Amino acid sequence: MSSSATRHAVTSAGRAGAGDGTGSVDLRSVRKSFGGVTVVQDLDLSVNPGEFLSLLGPSGCGKTTTLRMLAGFEQPDSGEVLISGAAVQHLPPHKRDVNTVFQSYALFPHMTVAANIAYGLRQRRGIDRAEIRSRVSEALDMVQMTRFADRKPNRLSGGQQQRVALARALVNRPSVLLLDEPLAALDRKLREDMQVELKLLQNRLGTTFVFVTHDQEEALSMSDRVAVMLNGRIEQIADPYTVYERPATAFVAGFIGQQNFFDGTVADGGRVIEIDGGTVLLAEPVTTPGSGAAAVRVAVRPEAVAVTEAAPTEPDGSANALPGTVAAVSLLGDVLQYVVHADAGHELLARVPRRQAGRLAEGARVRCSWAPSDVHVFPAEATPRAPIGSAK
Amino acid sequence: MSSDRRGPRAAWRAAPSGLLTTPALAWIALFFVAPVGLVFWYSLGRKPGLYQTHANDVLTLDRYREALGDTFLTSFAGTLRIGLAGTALCLAIGLPFAYWLAVKVRPHRRFVVLALVLVPFWTNFLIRTIGWQVVLSPEGFASHAMQSLGLIDTPFSMLFTRGAVLLGVVYNYLPMMILPLYVALDRVDGSLREASKDLGANRWRTALQVTLPLARPGIAAGLLLVFIPLMGDYVTAAVLGGARGNMVGQLVASQFQQAQNWALGSAMAVVLIVVIALTILATAAAGAACTWLLTHRRRRELAGIAEGSPA
Repeated sequence: MSSSATRHAVTSAGRAGAGDGTGSVDLRSVRKSFGGVTVVQDLDLSVNPGEFLSLLGPSGCGKTTTLRMLAGFEQPDSGEVLISGAAVQHLPPHKRDVNTVFQSYALFPHMTVAANIAYGLRQRRGIDRAEIRSRVSEALDMVQMTRFADRKPNRLSGGQQQRVALARALVNRPSVLLLDEPLAALDRKLREDMQVELKLLQNRLGTTFVFVTHDQEEALSMSDRVAVMLNGRIEQIADPYTVYERPATAFVAGFIGQQNFFDGTVADGGRVIEIDGGTVLLAEPVTTPGSGAAAVRVAVRPEAVAVTEAAPTEPDGSANALPGTVAAVSLLGDVLQYVVHADAGHELLARVPRRQAGRLAEGARVRCSWAPSDVHVFPAEATPRAPIGSAK
Repeated sequence: MSSDRRGPRAAWRAAPSGLLTTPALAWIALFFVAPVGLVFWYSLGRKPGLYQTHANDVLTLDRYREALGDTFLTSFAGTLRIGLAGTALCLAIGLPFAYWLAVKVRPHRRFVVLALVLVPFWTNFLIRTIGWQVVLSPEGFASHAMQSLGLIDTPFSMLFTRGAVLLGVVYNYLPMMILPLYVALDRVDGSLREASKDLGANRWRTALQVTLPLARPGIAAGLLLVFIPLMGDYVTAAVLGGARGNMVGQLVASQFQQAQNWALGSAMAVVLIVVIALTILATAAAGAACTWLLTHRRRRELAGIAEGSPA
């Protein structure tokens, strides 16, 4: 499996970046609840034509419900759903110009691969036999499944079924393709290959992709923009770099990658933060300094933490530095990860490139330090405790 | 089960693998093959005298000639009509109901609805059927209700008509249709229906192209479970149909019980078995032909794509 699957051209005339709004998605104040539990609340979202947008969040954040409202499987309690500029919230799924790749693939077990792919074309009027045949053939080619055209889905591997599901949706040339965690059931290697393929395919077709996932790496690696969701709201929507480098909330900071979190209070107009144990952290001036001693939550990425060996007796009172002892070392491919017990009681994660530094042993005395620009400050209130190390 | 203290496990392992099927095979041999074989054997014999039920001293096909006489054939045609109509009605009522139960009813309420389907089933068959006698008689409440609503002037009686028999068998056999249909429809993953709609099929096309083809085993099971016992049923017919509800089962039973002519009764039973088997085969063939016709276009359109032949 490789990206060469995308070498075959599939015509998608006038779809890519069409100026007429074909392929755009807009949700306006959309609200949905099930049995009194609000799952999506006042959601506003717009997706540009040809964009690859990921809805990222933990289970129960409302991302799948949002996708199902786009597909038409759920009706919003209030608000508007627009696809290509037209309100569709009252249209049933079969009248919407979108197609879905299901998490379970949902291939029809009584039909061959080719018949599965032809299914959508067959439901439409005005597509003659020869065109069905050539489009099915083209779609099979696109996902490199031509050889398996006459097989039943139960005789395919998970990755092959995934490709058929993709071809079955794309053969209809929808304005928007909806993908509901389509890679979740694949093993890691295959999943990474499919991520590359999907991204290349989307670039080539120019179809709008709305991709639901709980896997932050997947979202970061494929998307033009990522919408991070929590409790039925969008916490932040931005390109992957911004989401990673400048998370808008402590939740986003914790959900995307790993973080070292500290709770403290702001002093000195927002430049200085005191955390428990009396340690002082320096940050870039906090954009919205709390009046007086505001409680804040501070995040520092593990890869921003530099670990240097320190003499056990060396006194240390400088800012953005914590002395401690290495508690565990683990090799994560290209990087070494240290777990450091700081003397002040904190536990720190640090990641350093494997080739850059010599390997420190467990029990070594170290000094962890980082630059003020790597310190992210969030208001302490209304930040549900995000699990440290939520990355896989 | 063996209570061998020296090592039942070892004994099990040493036993040939076919051993585990022995109880089932013995059961079938003893309670199915042997009785049917006996019936077939008796059917080739005769009734030698007033006080004997059967004898096989002379092997003859005369009993079949007797069994295929006018009375039997008339009654047979009637039975087949009731059987086919009853089974078709059960399917027509059971299919939408089972679909509703498996798809529309919330999972935690399904139990209640299923219980409602089964509750009459737990009451004695005969009592239920006699209950219908009360309802359908001219003094029954069906007649009273229709009279008081002004729909009819004179007391009407459905009792002792073919309609009453049909009503009785549909009532009695409907759960046998609903249960396998429900199980089959319940097993069709809801995401398949969603995928179908997502791909542009409305609910009818989804039902015809996805849900029903996948529920086919359940439909077949339901048809068999209703049609076979219904063809042999004579209690419902006797209670609700009276003289006009003569079913083949009644004739067979009367040969065994009243006439004490086991040879003739057996011949009738064999004919019944053969006709039921032929009907089932014909239905299966018709079903297969329908499927073939419906998928024919699909196959022709897509044939040979795997070989990479250009369109």
